[in-house]
Amino acid sequence: MEAFIDGLFLVLQWKAFSLMMVGMALGFIVGLLPGIGGAATLALMIPFVFKMSPVEAFAFLLGMHSVAATTGDITSILFGVPGEGLSAATVVDGYPMAKRGEAGRALGAALMSSLVGALIGALTLALAIPIVRPLVLTFGSPELFMLSVIGIACITSLSGLSLRAQLRGFATGLLGLLLSTIGQERQSGSLRFDMGLMYLWEGLDLVPVLVGIFAIPELVDLAVRGTSIAGDKPAVNLSSGVMEGIKDTFRHFWLVFRCSAIGVFVGIMPGAGGGVAQWMAYAHAVQSAKDAKEREGFGKGDVRGVLGPGAANNSKEGGDLIPTIAFGVPGSGAMAILLGAFMIMGLVPGPDMLTKHLTVTYSMVWTLAIANIITVLLSLAVLNHLAKLTNIRGGLIIPFVLLLVFVGSYTANNHIADLIVTFCFGLLGYIMVRLGWPRPPLVLGFVLGKLVETYLFISVSRYGFSWLSQPLVLLLIAVMVVVVVYPFVREKPAWAGGGD
Amino acid sequence: MARKGNLLFSLFLIAVAGYAAFSAWHWSFKTGFFPLSLAIPLIILVVIHLVLEVVGGSEKASGPAVETEFAADVPPEVARRRVVEIFSWIAGFILIVFLLGFPAAVPLFIFSYLKMQSHIGWLQSITLTAGAWGFFYFLFQRLLNLQFEAGVIQTWMGW
Repeated sequence: MEAFIDGLFLVLQWKAFSLMMVGMALGFIVGLLPGIGGAATLALMIPFVFKMSPVEAFAFLLGMHSVAATTGDITSILFGVPGEGLSAATVVDGYPMAKRGEAGRALGAALMSSLVGALIGALTLALAIPIVRPLVLTFGSPELFMLSVIGIACITSLSGLSLRAQLRGFATGLLGLLLSTIGQERQSGSLRFDMGLMYLWEGLDLVPVLVGIFAIPELVDLAVRGTSIAGDKPAVNLSSGVMEGIKDTFRHFWLVFRCSAIGVFVGIMPGAGGGVAQWMAYAHAVQSAKDAKEREGFGKGDVRGVLGPGAANNSKEGGDLIPTIAFGVPGSGAMAILLGAFMIMGLVPGPDMLTKHLTVTYSMVWTLAIANIITVLLSLAVLNHLAKLTNIRGGLIIPFVLLLVFVGSYTANNHIADLIVTFCFGLLGYIMVRLGWPRPPLVLGFVLGKLVETYLFISVSRYGFSWLSQPLVLLLIAVMVVVVVYPFVREKPAWAGGGD
Repeated sequence: MARKGNLLFSLFLIAVAGYAAFSAWHWSFKTGFFPLSLAIPLIILVVIHLVLEVVGGSEKASGPAVETEFAADVPPEVARRRVVEIFSWIAGFILIVFLLGFPAAVPLFIFSYLKMQSHIGWLQSITLTAGAWGFFYFLFQRLLNLQFEAGVIQTWMGW
């Protein structure tokens, strides 16, 4: 308890606090810019921490990283452009809300759920450190493979419930998985579908794919409508919209809590990544709809579709830190970079962080919590003005958003092919929306593809097929069956009456 | 129209999956197993979908799908023209980035779009272009220190 309180005082020291504020300002900007992720910025800022103390360095880096995850939702909602790879799921319902003139409400909901998620993540980090070891060690490659398969099973919830809609959902999911196999195969090093292009050796990068498939179709639609994003909707009282979004968070608090738990859990699992957490949380939010009529609102501007991913994205940060601090096993790319900061500071992740340097560990918990509280409070003050951007004429907005889209995509590999990939996926996304083929399953498949293949091969190489009978794997198979069957059981009348 | 589009898109998916399966078939087991185990079910699912489209007639995949909907209140001819226009602008932007590099392409694209597509006045177009270029230069080039390749024209000229 003493270390917990000391951690707070260390963060509140003027130098650490000032550096955290600088980091937050950087994270705020980076979060808004499409494609430039918190991980890339962490890498850019690592050289600046050499002369800092451990508490100052982590206040600076974690303040920046946690805020980038929060503000990424703002661009997703206002322009339909994922500000971060981690905020693509927010586009699905956040942007339709903006088009309906409810940008303020969506922003309020996204920020407040992010704050709740971040606090739950930080609290879990504080409580879990001493007891998390057995959980992480229980999860080997077979269990991680099954977790990824459960992620894929979420396609059921991300598609319509008629036979034809399910066929489309699973077909696009398989297409996403197939696209993830482009490039060098990890086990043997052989090249797959590289078409003789060196650019494809590393596979398709997530950023151009995500930005293209979500942002371009929305920009095309904006150009077709020839209006502002909010269309001819009257300039509603945006401040009341923000308050409504905040109230929504507490109206659906149990959902926000569950999605935060999903984020923490996925964060703890090494290698699962935030891209998975947001889609699993989104699918869970869809599943929470009581009936077919309620479910129909998803994808068209249901606030629960904003609350779920918002909470999961931020709670994941706390979860991510648990294996990083406790075992030196980074939960994501960003945590791998943060591990570099541990080395620079002369700290060794592991038992020492839970005994000798416990105060530093708790200072990280406090940084996560304080940085998010300050960001959300400051953001709430300017949300009204940000929401007004949706009332600017589309012809003025489009070239600037296109600029951000393509600069963001270009940062993936600094290659002109990044722009071509963005364009191709933009075209694909536009055709899919036009014809009623869902995009989220494709993204989910693409995000999970590499994980599924890697864990499958490790499991088979290590255990043959005996891993299929391991108790935890059997439990996860049961969970997967529930995830697949639950929407149909719940929506039986719609399925039966689908005509297919 | 939507039915024809769905048929074409289904055929496109079958072609992609067919190419993947054909390629994977010739690779070693380790390399080809995963793509092959994805491509074959993909072909099967899309063929079933295709049959339903042909036999069952056109039907918007019923049931609530998690997907956005585009504006339907614009006349189809106008919508088609605007779609072609915007995709041409995007392709044009990529082309000038390829030819001139980002630093030159940004002001050129923003100004051309504002003036020719959005029909904004000279003063406003120039001001907004300058603002966009300043934002690009100070944030991406100076602050974030992102490296942008020179365009092929500059490379040819040896600049």
